[in-house]
Amino acid sequence: MSSPQLVIDQARVSFSGFVAVSDLTLSVGQGELRCLIGPNGAGKTTALDLICGKTRLASGAVRFQDKPIHRLSEHAIARAGIGRKFQVPSVFRDLSVWDNLHIGRSARPGVLSNLLSFGQGDDKVEIERLAELVGLENDLKTPAAHLSHGQTQWLEIALILAQNPLLILIDEPTAGMTQQETKKTAELFCGLRGKHTLIVVEHDMGFVRDIAETISVMHQGKLLAEGTIGEIEANQAVRDAYLGSGGIGHA
Amino acid sequence: MSGKTKTEMAIYAVVCLAILLVPVFLDDAFLLNKYARYLVLGMLAVALSLSWGYAGILNLGQATTFGLGSYCMAMALKLKTIPVHTGSDGLPDFMVWNNVTELPWFWKPFYSMSVGVAAGILIPALFAALLGWFMFRGRVTGVYAAITTLAAMVVVQLLIIDQQAYTGGFNGITDLAQFDVAGFAFDAYGPAIYYLVAICLTASLFIAFAITKSKAGLIVQAIRDEEDRVRFFGYDVALYKIFVFSVSGAIAGVAGMLYTIVMEFASPTFLGVPISLSVVIWVAVGGRQSLLGAMLGALIVTGMQGALSESETFLDSWTLIMGLLFVLVVLFLPKGIAGAVETIAGRFERRRTLARRQSRRADTVGEAPRLERLS
Repeated sequence: MSSPQLVIDQARVSFSGFVAVSDLTLSVGQGELRCLIGPNGAGKTTALDLICGKTRLASGAVRFQDKPIHRLSEHAIARAGIGRKFQVPSVFRDLSVWDNLHIGRSARPGVLSNLLSFGQGDDKVEIERLAELVGLENDLKTPAAHLSHGQTQWLEIALILAQNPLLILIDEPTAGMTQQETKKTAELFCGLRGKHTLIVVEHDMGFVRDIAETISVMHQGKLLAEGTIGEIEANQAVRDAYLGSGGIGHA
Repeated sequence: MSGKTKTEMAIYAVVCLAILLVPVFLDDAFLLNKYARYLVLGMLAVALSLSWGYAGILNLGQATTFGLGSYCMAMALKLKTIPVHTGSDGLPDFMVWNNVTELPWFWKPFYSMSVGVAAGILIPALFAALLGWFMFRGRVTGVYAAITTLAAMVVVQLLIIDQQAYTGGFNGITDLAQFDVAGFAFDAYGPAIYYLVAICLTASLFIAFAITKSKAGLIVQAIRDEEDRVRFFGYDVALYKIFVFSVSGAIAGVAGMLYTIVMEFASPTFLGVPISLSVVIWVAVGGRQSLLGAMLGALIVTGMQGALSESETFLDSWTLIMGLLFVLVVLFLPKGIAGAVETIAGRFERRRTLARRQSRRADTVGEAPRLERLS
C-alpha cells in the first residue's frame, strides 16, 4: 500500500483551555471511505475542522499528500484539494440553485479570471449533471432558501462535488433526511468511493453500516479504536464508551 | 446572457438615455446645475450599492473616498488659478494667508490635470484597498466593519481640517478655475457639465453592472450570504472584498471629482458623517441590491429634499417628512423600491407562465389527448 493521502499526526486542539482534541493520530488512504464515529463531544467535528483549517492546531501536524497543510489559510487548503460539507447545511440562500453550483465550480478561484467570466460557459453540462445527480434538475432557478431541509443537504453535497476535491470531509450528511433520502445518500457516497477520499462523521449507525469500510471511533478527543464494523462491534472499549450493549445498528 | 440580464440591461439603458436627454427639454442653467448635482450623488449611491448591497460591506464612510476625489480635483483646479489670482510666488491664496512659502511636494503633481484626474480615481481606490486590506484580512465583518469605515472617515476629515496650511482647513479649497478638456471649458451652469456627469454616471453604472453579472460578482454575493462557505471552496474571500471595496471607492472618487466641478469648491463637509449617512438612506430607499434602484433612490430622495426644503409650506417640516419616508420604506419595503418592483414583476411573470402553461395544456388536450397521458 502506498503512503496514506491524509495524515493527522499527534494533533492537539484546545479552545481557551478546554482540550477538544488531544494526541489524535489518524491516517486515511487514497480513495478510502472512512467513517468517524463517537459520542457527543468526542471531537469528531473538531477533527474535520482542523483538517480544513477552520480550527488551528495547538501542536501536531496535518499532512495531505505528504505536504503539511495545517499552517495554510482555508482557501489554500481548499485549493490543495480538500472540500468540506458542514453539519448545518451551508448554502447561498439568496442565490438560485444554478448560481450555487456555478460558485461551487471553483477550479479557477482568482478574482481577475472570474471578473472576465460571464454566463455559464463550459460549466453548463457539469452543473446540469450534478443537479440531476441530487434530484434538483427541476429547481435550477429556485432560490436555495426555498428548498426543503433534505434538498438543502443535497445541494451542499452537490456543491462539494462541483468543487471536485480529492478529499471530501462530510459532517452528519443525513441529519434531517428521511429514510429514503438517507438511503440515496448512502448509494451516492458508495459511488464516490475510489474516485474521492471521503471522511464522514455520522451518528446514524444504520447509515454507517451501509457505507463504512473502516471506522474510526473517537472518544474524549482521542482515537479509541479503528477497524471494520465487526471489529468495532466486538471492541469492549468502544462498547463501554459509546455503543452500549446493542452493537451497531441499534445504537 | 440570460433573458433577465438582457431585460435589466435594457432598463438601465432606457433610464440612462432619459437622463442624458434632459438638457434637450430643459433650458434652465440653474436647474441643470442642480440636477447635475443630484446625478453626482446618484453615482455615490451606485458605489455604496456595490459594496453594501452586493458584497454586504456597510460602508458608513463612503464619503471618505468621495471627499478624497473631490480634493484631488480641487487641488488641480486651484493650481490652474495661480497665474490669475495670487500675488506671491504663484501659491494658492490660502497658503499665502497661512504663511506657506513654498508649494508642498504633494501639491506639485497636480499642476497636470491628467495627473489630478488619475489621482482622483486612484487615491480613493488605494485608500479603500488599504482600509479593506486591514479589515478583511483581519476578518472584521458586519457592524464592526461599518464602525471602522466611519472611524476612518472621521480621521481623514480631522486630518484635512487640521492641516489648514496645505488643505485650506475648515474653509476647504475655494475659488477654483473651470474644468476644461483640450481647451473646452465646462461651465458649472451649462449643459456641458450636465452631459459630463450623466456620461460618467452611465459609465460607472454599466461598469458596476458588468461586475455584478460576472462570476466574480456572483462570488461576491455568495460571500455576502455565507462567507465561510465561499472560503472553503478555495476562493480568497478577503481579496474579493478588497476588490469590490476599491471599485466602490474609485466610483465614489469620480463622483467626488465631479462634485467639485459642479459645486466649484471642495470642503471638509464632503467627508462628513451627514453625507455618509444620507447615502445609506438613499440606497436603502432605492433598494440596495439594485444598482439602478440605489441610483434612483438618491435622485428621488435628494430631489424631494430639494423640493420640500425650498417650498414655503414645508419649510419647517421637511426633515420630518423625509424621516417618515425612511421609516415607512424600512418597515414596508425592506428591499427598497427596486425590491418591491422586482417582487411585483416576478408575480406577473409567474402568472404569465402559468397562464401559458395552462393554455398549452388545453391545446394538447384538444388535439392529442394521448400524448398528455403518455407524458
